[in-house]
Amino acid sequence: MDGQGPSPVLESCTTPEPNALQKHPFWRSLLHHREIGVACALVVVFTVFFSMQRHFLSAGTLGDIVTVAAELGVVAVGASFLMISGEMDLSVGSNFAFSGMLLAMLITEYNWNPILAFIVALACSAGIGALNGLITLSIGIPSFITTLGAMMFWRGVALYLTQGWPISIFEDIPLLRWLGGSKVFATVHISAVWWLIIGIIFWIILQKTPYGNWVFATGGKRGAARALGVPDFKVKLINFTLIGLLAGLGGCFQLGRMGSMSPVWGQDLALEAIAASVVGGNALTGGVGTILGTLLGAITMASIRIGLVMIGAPAYWYMSFVGFIVVAAVALNVKLGEVISWKK
Amino acid sequence: MEKMTSPAPSHVPVIEGIKLCKWFGRVAALKDVDITIERGEVVGLVGDNGAGKSTLIKILSGVHRPDSGELWFEGKKVELDSPRDARKLGIETVYQDLALVETMSIARNFFLGAEPKIRFGFFNLLDGRKMRQATEKMLRDIGITVRSAHQEVSTLSGGERQAIAIGRTMHFGGKVLILDEPTSALSVHETNKVLSYIDEARNRGLSVIFITHNLYHVYPVADKIIVLEHGRKVGDFRKEETSVEELIDIIVHGIRGDRRAVNNASG
Repeated sequence: MDGQGPSPVLESCTTPEPNALQKHPFWRSLLHHREIGVACALVVVFTVFFSMQRHFLSAGTLGDIVTVAAELGVVAVGASFLMISGEMDLSVGSNFAFSGMLLAMLITEYNWNPILAFIVALACSAGIGALNGLITLSIGIPSFITTLGAMMFWRGVALYLTQGWPISIFEDIPLLRWLGGSKVFATVHISAVWWLIIGIIFWIILQKTPYGNWVFATGGKRGAARALGVPDFKVKLINFTLIGLLAGLGGCFQLGRMGSMSPVWGQDLALEAIAASVVGGNALTGGVGTILGTLLGAITMASIRIGLVMIGAPAYWYMSFVGFIVVAAVALNVKLGEVISWKK
Repeated sequence: MEKMTSPAPSHVPVIEGIKLCKWFGRVAALKDVDITIERGEVVGLVGDNGAGKSTLIKILSGVHRPDSGELWFEGKKVELDSPRDARKLGIETVYQDLALVETMSIARNFFLGAEPKIRFGFFNLLDGRKMRQATEKMLRDIGITVRSAHQEVSTLSGGERQAIAIGRTMHFGGKVLILDEPTSALSVHETNKVLSYIDEARNRGLSVIFITHNLYHVYPVADKIIVLEHGRKVGDFRKEETSVEELIDIIVHGIRGDRRAVNNASG
């Protein structure tokens, strides 16, 4: 360092002009966005599939991608919220299947009003989430354990209720069309629109409200948050409830789009949602993350799923591909983080 | 200074704790401790590990409730159920490792738990502009140069973090600033800076309670020094009545020489 003359870092330290607060080189401010890792991953995925199959960038394919991303993504938004506040939920896949099954059964076997059945299904899902939260927080066991148990328990309940058989709805029910059955544009199902709206709402809550500040603080350093009067218990409980609600909504979207629900669907959903979240730049350890990154993470995973089908590769490769992307995107984020703090 | 030596008739201390006791199971963490803190006074709270320093400040900052004893704030009896209650009164606490959330920006930390809001329909949104401007003003006031109020706290030094936590208290119109081991992890240079922030806080009329192991850190800035041992108060002196040597003797041996003589004479 000595022999290289005055470094720019040194200069900026010795001239503390207040104006320096506002000066950002454009490229550096770009690096400060946590979404940069997932944006790169998305570009790589698109380039690979487009080079192998020209139709990959057609409106139809993109519509398929966002439709598939919606059901995963709505759960991933909840997973991100909960992860930022420092907890995780492995039971979302079971919750997803349970809620879809419950909605289908209430409509077909008990002839309930679909709207009422929908409300009840969502309330049950939110209740499952809240129960996870209450057990985790009041007893003080890791959420990994609580929700691992809940994952098995609710899967078992869903299997018992249907005796392992899928349920299909053949009638035309307006609610199901509104949830995911109808298309708004080309191959884009309406569930993608709901997902976008939910993403925007949660983005606003996280970035632009005092509650979002509490979510970051609770996951970043619980003791400090508590010392400053942030109700950390309440924040975590609310986030457990929200992810339950969103998992149930994801199940209802899928029932709406497919017209049927199987008690074995969503087995990998919890890990996929966590993967979408960390690919999007959210820290598994909490305290850090963005909703935009999560949405892009879900789109990346859906692109892999659709892309593999389009190039005619066996769908078995999906998990391998996702695994590769998870590690690559997080590695990129970590390296960029080091560069940024070193530049301070 | 003269306001302390010649109290007016209407004079009330900012905080007065009377016979505070706290038990954890069968262990008495605090036994009959009286504490008085005047406006604009820097009180050093010293003692060995387990002396009851942190139990006492947790009572004053609303984390624990005393099992018996009374707490008075500006002449009114108060019951603090949570840190939030204490902050409402103007008692701000800066814990050693819990002052700031490292993964959040300076501005988000600065207003944590007391976020400025804009009403938007049914929602309360953060007032981002106010957060940024107030934070940047505070940073300039205390002389810290950073690129932006949006910079993560993890990029700051230990002294800068203490400074931000102290600046936060001054900004929110706090009346009492409780600092838990503010200098324990700092270099000599940074310690001196933090001591100068404490001086600045006193000049603005704040009362400061400074908890430390290191008598040499608190002695230069303190007006009064309180020594705790095994949950009891064993010393409570104005600085001019005592010396560093005498205080060390009390911390080590537990009781003041002349008081021992008085005890012997009376007994």
